[in-house]
Amino acid sequence: MSRQREANAPHPRQEPRIPGPLSLARLEEVFSDCADFSKREVYLHGDSGRKAVVCYIDGQARSERLNDYVLRPLAQDPALATVPESQLFDLLEKGALYAHGAKRETEADPVVFALINGSCALFLEGRDDCLVFPVATEEKRSVGEPENEPALKGARDSFVESLRTNTSLIRRRLRAPELKIREHIVGRQSLTPVDVLWIDGIADPDTVALLEERLDAIDIDGVEAAGNLEEYLVDSERSPFPLMPYTQRPDRFCQGLLEGRVGLFADGIPLGWVLPGTIDQFFKTGQDRAYHWLAASALSVVRWLCALITLLVPGLYIALVTFHPEAIPPKLALSIVAAKQEVPFSTIFEVLIMLLAFEVVQEAGLRLPTPIGSTVSILGGLVVGNAAVDAHIVSPAVLIAVAIAGIAGYTMPSQDFGSALRLWRFLLAILASLGGLTGLALGCAALIYHLAGLESFGVPYLAPFTTGTRVPRGHPSLFRLPLPRMKWRDGAVKTQNRRNQR
Amino acid sequence: MKRGWMAPLALSLLLTGCSGLPAAREMGDMALLRTMGIDAAANGVAVTGSTGPRAKGLQAEDEPALILSADRESLSGACLAMQGQSDSYVFFGYVDQLLLGQELAERGVQPVLDYFSRDAELGLGAQLWLVRGAAAREAVSSGGDKGVDSRLETLQTDSDMGIASITRTAGEVYTDLLELGSAFVPALSPAGDETAVLTERGYGVLNGDRLVGFLDGEAAKGLELLAGGPSADVLEAELAQNRVSVKVVSASTKSELEVQGGVLSGLKLTCRVEARLSEYQRHPDEAAVQALKTGLEQRERLRLEAALERLQELGTDCTGLGARAGIARPALWQRVQRDWADRFAELPVELQVQVTVHK
Repeated sequence: MSRQREANAPHPRQEPRIPGPLSLARLEEVFSDCADFSKREVYLHGDSGRKAVVCYIDGQARSERLNDYVLRPLAQDPALATVPESQLFDLLEKGALYAHGAKRETEADPVVFALINGSCALFLEGRDDCLVFPVATEEKRSVGEPENEPALKGARDSFVESLRTNTSLIRRRLRAPELKIREHIVGRQSLTPVDVLWIDGIADPDTVALLEERLDAIDIDGVEAAGNLEEYLVDSERSPFPLMPYTQRPDRFCQGLLEGRVGLFADGIPLGWVLPGTIDQFFKTGQDRAYHWLAASALSVVRWLCALITLLVPGLYIALVTFHPEAIPPKLALSIVAAKQEVPFSTIFEVLIMLLAFEVVQEAGLRLPTPIGSTVSILGGLVVGNAAVDAHIVSPAVLIAVAIAGIAGYTMPSQDFGSALRLWRFLLAILASLGGLTGLALGCAALIYHLAGLESFGVPYLAPFTTGTRVPRGHPSLFRLPLPRMKWRDGAVKTQNRRNQR
Repeated sequence: MKRGWMAPLALSLLLTGCSGLPAAREMGDMALLRTMGIDAAANGVAVTGSTGPRAKGLQAEDEPALILSADRESLSGACLAMQGQSDSYVFFGYVDQLLLGQELAERGVQPVLDYFSRDAELGLGAQLWLVRGAAAREAVSSGGDKGVDSRLETLQTDSDMGIASITRTAGEVYTDLLELGSAFVPALSPAGDETAVLTERGYGVLNGDRLVGFLDGEAAKGLELLAGGPSADVLEAELAQNRVSVKVVSASTKSELEVQGGVLSGLKLTCRVEARLSEYQRHPDEAAVQALKTGLEQRERLRLEAALERLQELGTDCTGLGARAGIARPALWQRVQRDWADRFAELPVELQVQVTVHK
C-alpha cells in the first residue's frame, strides 16, 4: 500500500534531465533503442588518422543542410587535414563549417535536447566535448487562411503549428523593439516551447510575471491540446466560461497586444491567447475595426442580443407556456394551443428533448467529414424536424424556439463562449421547468453571481461593466465608437500607458 | 464550501411547495376564454364565457366556439362551475372583452370590477361594454359558432383608429368610478343588422357604480367631443356649384371654472375641432372654407349642448370636466369637489367651439 502511495505521489522534475559529462558513448546510451538516432563517421579530407563523428536525429535534421554545410566541408576541406591537431577543434567552431551557429558543449543534457530539436553534434576522436550545429528541418504547414475566423475585409493569414512562424507573423506587424518574447518550456515529455509576448511599456508587468509564474508551475507530461495550458493557467477551471480568449488571426492578436494585453503561443497549437480575458473579448471579431463603426456597433449589439436569446429563449418558452400563459399574446397562445393539442409530450419534455437533439445533430455534423457532416445537419434539421412536427411528436413552436436559440448561439465569435452558453441554456431550461419565471430569474441571478465571481489574471471577468469609478474605463463594450475617438486603452487590464493615439 | 451548499439548500427549500412557485399546466389542455358576459340573476349572477373559434391541430379546420355558462350566487362560484363544464382547463387569463347586462349595471358594477381586479388571471385589462336592452348572455351567444370576440376586437381596433365610438377598459372605468364617482361605458345591442351581430348603441353612464342612463345619437357624439375622442365624422355641404366633404380628425375640450366674487359661477368649455377637406369638386376658396367652418361649428355646438344637457340631467360629470378644470384652480376645486355632481347639474356652461379646417 505504501509502495503504491509512494509511486502515486507527486515526484519532482529532475534537473538536469541527463546528468553527467558528455561523451559519444553517453550519447549513444541515451539514444539507445531510438531507431531515428544516426551517426556518421567521416575522415577529415580523407585522412584516416583524423576521424570525426556526426550525430543527428533522422527527420529532425535536414539532410541537405547536414550534407552541404557539415559533411561536405569535413570531407573536402584540405585545411582540416593539415591544421595542427590542437587547433582543429577551434577551426571547426570558428568557420570551417558553414552553419550559422556553432556551440561547444561539454554536458550531455544540452546536446541531447539540441539533437532532438534538429541540430547535429560533431565529435572528434579522442575528445569528449562536441560542437553543435543547427541544421533543423523546417517542414511545416504553410500560413493559410483562418478557417474559424474568416475575413471579408482584412488580412487572410492565420497562425500555424510552428511557434517561430507565429512569432514572426507578429513581429512583422509590430516592428517596435518593445515587443518582447520570452520562452518557457512546458511538459516533462513534450518539452513544448511556450512563448509569452508583450509590448514593454504598455502591458502590465505584473500580468506578465503572473503568467510566467503559472507557466513555470505547470508540471505535466505534454502540451498536446489547448486545454493543457488553459486549464492550468486560468483562475477558475470549474467555470464553463472561457477565461483565455484566443484567436487564429495575427491581426487580432496584435490588437490585443496593443490594448495592453499579454500574448501566449505554444508550439504545435495554431492559435494565440490574449490575456487577461474579459467578457467583451468573446463578443469581438476581427472585422469589428474593419467595418464602418455604425455597422460594427449594430453587429456587436446583435451579438449581445443573440447571447441573451440563445441563453433564455428555451427557458422563457417553458416558463411562459407551462406556468404563465397569460403573458403570451392571445393570438400566439391560440396557435400554441392548437399546435399542442395533438402532441403527447409535455412542453418541458419537448423542449429538453429538442435541445438534446439539437446538440446531437450538431455533434454528428462536426465529427463527420464536411460533405457528410452537412448532409447530416440538413437531414437532422429539416427532414427529421419536419417529420417530427408532422407526426405530432413535437409542436412547431418548440422547434422554432429551439432553432432560434441554436442559431443565435452560432453568432458567438468564440466557440468556447458559445459552448458555455449552451450548458447554461440547459440549466436555465431545467430551472424554468421547475419554477417558471421565478426559476428562470433565480437561474439568471446565479449566472450573474457566477460571472461576477470570475477573474482572469487578476482582472474581473465582467470588468467592462463592473469596474466601478476607481478604474479608468476604456470605451463602450456593447458598441464601437469611431476609431479616432477611441483614444484610451481599457484601465481594467492595468495598462501602463492608457493613451493609444495623439 | 459552505457557500457551495447554500444554493442547493435554498433551491430545495423553494421546491418544497411552500415557496409560492407557480403551478405548471399544459396549454394544449386549455380552453382560452376570450369573452365573458355577466348578468344579474335571481339569486346572484349569471356568467357566460366564450372561447371564440378554436383549432385542433395546425392544419385542422376551426372548431365551433365553446360557450360555457353558469348561474351562481357569486362570480367565483359561477367561474368554478364553468370549470367543471369543460373537458379542458378553462383559462380566464385571455378574457379581453367583458360584457355587462343592463340589469346588472343598474344594480351596480362594483362587485364585478372588484372581482376582476383581485383575480390573478382576469385583471382589469379587458374591454368593458354594456349590453343595452338585453342580457349579456344573449350578446355572447349571438356570435354562434364563431363567437363575438372578433366582432368586439374589430370595434376596439376601429375605435383606436378613430372610426368607431370610444372603447374603455374595465380598469379605466373603475378608475373613473373611484376618482370621479361616475364613468361612461360604450353600449352595444345584440340585435345587430345585416352586417354584424353586435351594434354600437351610444354610451351608458354610471353614477356611483350604477347605470343611470344612456347617451344616444347627437348626445353620444357630443360626449366623444367632451372626452376628446371623436369618432370619424363627415360633414357634407353643398356650396355654390361645389359639393364639399369635411372630415373631423380630432377634437379636444378644455374646461375652466369661472368665478365671480370668489364663488363658482359657471363652467367655460372650449372645444377645438380639427378637420380636413376630404372631397370637393373645385378647391374651395376662403369664403367657402369659412362657410364650412361655420356649419361645422354649429353642428358640433349642438352635439356638445345635447351631451351637456343630458349629463346635467343625469347629474354626472363622467368625462371629468370639473376635475380637469380644477387643476388650474386647486383651492376652488378642493372646496367644490365634494358636491361637484350637484353643482354640475345646475351650473351654467359657456360653450365655445373653434374649428380649424385644413386644406
